[in-house]
Amino acid sequence: MSAEFITSLFHIDALSLIMMGLVGFVAIAVGAFASRYLVGDSQYRNFFVLLTCMAASVFVMVSANNIALFLGAWLASNALLVRLIIYKSNWQAAKQSGILAAKTFGFGFVCLGAALGLLAFSSGQTTVQGLLSANYAPTTLGIALSLILIAAMTQSALWPFHKWLTSSLNSPTPVSAIMHAGLVNGGGFLLTKFALLYFAMPEMLTLIFILGLITAFLGTLWKLMQSDIKRMLACSTMGQMGFMIAQCGMGLFPAAVAHLCWHGLFKAYLFLASGGAAQEKRLDLQYPPSIKAFALSLLCGLAGAAGFMLISGKALFAGDTTLILIAIAFIAGAQFAMPLLKDAALKMFPFAFIATALMGTLYGFSVHMLEAALAPLNVMQPHAKTITAHKNQYQY
Amino acid sequence: MLNVQKLNDPDLDIIDTPVIEENTLDTAITQSWSKIAPFWPLKNLIAVNPLSGFEDLPFEDALKQGQAFFQQDALPKPMQDVNRESIKWLQAYFDNGQSTISMPGRSKGLFSSILMLLPFDKSVNKNNVQWLKNLPDAPQAIIAECLLHLGISKDHHTDFLTLMLTTLPGWAGHVQYRVNWADTQDQNNEHPVTHDDFLALRLILTCLVWPEAKELLQWHQDALENADITDVVSDIEQHEHKYRAVLLDRLSHPKKVVIEQADAQLVFCIDVRSEPFRRAIEAQGAYETLGFAGFFGVPVSIENEISGESYHSCPVLLKPAHHIKESPVCGHDACQSGHDRQQGLKRLYQSLKYNFTTTFALVETLGPLSGLWMGMRSIAPDFANKIKDKATALINPSFDVQTSIESIPFEDQCSFAGGALKMMGLTDNFAPLVIFCGHGSTTQNNAYASSLDCGACGGRHGAPNARILAGILNEPQVREALKKDGIDIPASTYFMAAEHNTTTDAVEIFDNDMPRIHDKALENLKADLHDACAQNTLWRCGELGTKPSNASQHAALRSKDWAQVRAEWGLARNAAFIIGPRRMTKDIDLEGRAFLHSYEWEKDADGSALTTILTAPMVVAQWINSQYLFSTLDNVAYGGGSKITKNITGKLGIMQGNASDLMNGLPLQSVYSSDEQAYHQPTRLMTIVHAPRDVIERIVREQDILQKLFGNGWVTLVCFDPELKQRFVLERDLSWAKVQLNKL
Repeated sequence: MSAEFITSLFHIDALSLIMMGLVGFVAIAVGAFASRYLVGDSQYRNFFVLLTCMAASVFVMVSANNIALFLGAWLASNALLVRLIIYKSNWQAAKQSGILAAKTFGFGFVCLGAALGLLAFSSGQTTVQGLLSANYAPTTLGIALSLILIAAMTQSALWPFHKWLTSSLNSPTPVSAIMHAGLVNGGGFLLTKFALLYFAMPEMLTLIFILGLITAFLGTLWKLMQSDIKRMLACSTMGQMGFMIAQCGMGLFPAAVAHLCWHGLFKAYLFLASGGAAQEKRLDLQYPPSIKAFALSLLCGLAGAAGFMLISGKALFAGDTTLILIAIAFIAGAQFAMPLLKDAALKMFPFAFIATALMGTLYGFSVHMLEAALAPLNVMQPHAKTITAHKNQYQY
Repeated sequence: MLNVQKLNDPDLDIIDTPVIEENTLDTAITQSWSKIAPFWPLKNLIAVNPLSGFEDLPFEDALKQGQAFFQQDALPKPMQDVNRESIKWLQAYFDNGQSTISMPGRSKGLFSSILMLLPFDKSVNKNNVQWLKNLPDAPQAIIAECLLHLGISKDHHTDFLTLMLTTLPGWAGHVQYRVNWADTQDQNNEHPVTHDDFLALRLILTCLVWPEAKELLQWHQDALENADITDVVSDIEQHEHKYRAVLLDRLSHPKKVVIEQADAQLVFCIDVRSEPFRRAIEAQGAYETLGFAGFFGVPVSIENEISGESYHSCPVLLKPAHHIKESPVCGHDACQSGHDRQQGLKRLYQSLKYNFTTTFALVETLGPLSGLWMGMRSIAPDFANKIKDKATALINPSFDVQTSIESIPFEDQCSFAGGALKMMGLTDNFAPLVIFCGHGSTTQNNAYASSLDCGACGGRHGAPNARILAGILNEPQVREALKKDGIDIPASTYFMAAEHNTTTDAVEIFDNDMPRIHDKALENLKADLHDACAQNTLWRCGELGTKPSNASQHAALRSKDWAQVRAEWGLARNAAFIIGPRRMTKDIDLEGRAFLHSYEWEKDADGSALTTILTAPMVVAQWINSQYLFSTLDNVAYGGGSKITKNITGKLGIMQGNASDLMNGLPLQSVYSSDEQAYHQPTRLMTIVHAPRDVIERIVREQDILQKLFGNGWVTLVCFDPELKQRFVLERDLSWAKVQLNKL
């Protein structure tokens, strides 16, 4: 095997580097955690072998260019995840969790394999990059993209394929942590990887958006109703996955990847820290706030949205999908300001205003950081400064 | 205790049931519940014998019953379905602040609120909506109706009701706690529960899911016939023989020694973790140590003025007699604003996390930070803690607190003070410094944290009680009154409180008001405590299977490590309870396996102090001993299972994985050093009393609880008779025999 052949198998781009960075970092952190957390466990050594293999297979998957290699790595990493979910194989319930996940992943894999096979067959390409640049008949493309979407939905636990995720809590805490920062994000990764093809079918994006939204709503609603910590976290992940897929549906693939990364870290942390859930007291949030506090917090929300726009370089266009992100920043800003303003609304207003603007900026920054790395994917929106925002500035 | 509902309730006329005699059913319900041990919520995990409902049987018979009721691997499948449905509802109903949108109508009570929602639950009701709607209102009437529906004959009522509880023992234990043992907070819980409610719910679900549930009786009969405990018993006895023979060989009658005045007297909790630490501090200088129940005889509830939180700080066998306020030593306002600042930040976080719109933005904003924090805590926990401490100091600096004793009337102050000193035998020969040393633990990310705290303080830290007793004893009027009682405390003696951190072995002394005359002595004591910490942590690290170069540092790190599942061994390996003067045990390495209660029989002429010790601290020790014993024997049936797959439900208890019954005992990691290797050695408690045989015999004859524990072999009593200079063991028929080392 020549070196050339080997390099031809892989295609390293910003997306694969970001995914490797995320999975590598979480694997190391979770590994360090587990090195003490699992002391005395009969599967101790097994865990680290499986964890390393899974991280390695994810590395291969996110950087593979050869279709067969990509599919192989996809299958391997999911199989390893199933093995980790089962972990205590004598425990029937855990075994069933693994079987459920395996069935779901298996179905997703068949869809993905069929889709890539179809695309490869009709284009004669053997690499993912080749598939992206080929031309297809609309029906072929439609079928293939639908199948990829189904694979993404199974992997990211979108309704109605969510059951495996909410039933996976028989696995040890570190497995949940790595799973929620890792392979559950596969759907977002997959859609982003094939974003260029999806852009050719806007109606498909609308479907993705709607499916994402349904799951975002369901996951978040269910999260609020759960009475045990781990299922709450799992439902929350489901909602976040829905949001991520909805972002994809809006054509905001870089934002989706940013969401995927930051949510992954956040959720992995919460899983590892779930042993302290009983000590975390829920406080009275003193709803509803006074009208004055509410009005002022809306003002603060504007400041937050402005900070977000400024740093992430998003422009305010009616009809542009980024508007939705800005609206979210606005709501988040207002919500952020509300507790700050609850007691002495007027007195606290300047502080809350500045704090919200800062938080908005921070929010914009963390999203922008990853978006910038994925700049080539911003194909749907030209850079803000390259748009003639004022018609009369047009020159010929 | 039981919420008796009249069966001649008018609503009952709707359905045509032959009236079951109220009394019989009532008795059946009471009897079924008597088999269920309570189980405390995570906020204060009190140790309890999971077979406490069977303590009136000989130990072996109880084991057998326990095996048949709780340890069966195979439960009929349809009954598992019933359990699944029960768990679903119970989780939602008892949730104590996990969910944001909680189950509606909970204030109506367990059974009414669920009955209201049940018709909408498609997974169970299928064709039974009408049956559900026609059910009577009163729980007890429903129990009667359901038993009829299931075809359970009157003779089997008690058995069947018991099985309804023992097939879901974790939740039944929680209900038992709520009904009989709840603290003030849980008594006023907004979602009430009664014994009848719980049974009615279980029976309704059983009727819906498994109408043939009568088979359960036969299943249980088979289990009982097949129960075999010979191996378990012989395993326990082997451990006991080995331990007891060595211990009794080394223990001898204390010699009268010339008493020299100590530089300081330190009173520790009877907890087994005190013993090695006492040995370590005694080795450092002229220190005398004593053992006494860690609530120091003051049954109080404590309220923190800043946080507003309050809790019972006394053994759960007692009700708090007084309400004590704890306030900051420094300026109240500064502490209050620090607390408010921290609460404000938490409120901010929660308001962003638990709603529909902002969670997405929240994770994106906090993602980078939580990733960094996760990495630091996992890879460099020491460094992460330094940062955490700095941040906490910035937002909400910790403050020393003082405890006001004003709310305790003078007479009670005197009786608490006199009672405590007499019971521990400290009535003369006071050192210049007397320190009451409570204890508590520090662990991170640990759902079972409170199981490592002071059981005598209701699963809390012991410092407040120590502070109260020290405060009382420093009152001149109290000392004046004690003098009349024959306890002459010199003016030069000063009482102080301290807290022993059992995870790190650091001792914090609360010396805010100490007269400066003791400065030098205190300085020496602190240095010696430091050395004692090094000595004891070195030994403890060995027990934890590590050999660090700096043991005290390693122990401190363990206490702050969020990935640590064995921060300390807690009370594992406890095996004996020794009531007598320290002289008896002083030069013996008891390996942290013995509860030590100071007692001077000569100062207790009427035996009243000994009665209290045997019926209160010893009973608590027996609960602890049984909890460790059973959690080791079967960590699934009687324990908490492995920490690695635990899932906290409702902020009150542990489930395994996706969902399970509440796990009611200690986690695997508290009693096992690995999945296969037990660290705790399963033994029953052996109580050794240094007092005349006649006195003990009289006390046992008067106290039913002691006859039960000694007579049924739950605890073995050994008497070191100081007058006859002989050692006796109390046989199960409550007769005395001479101690023979090979027959224990």
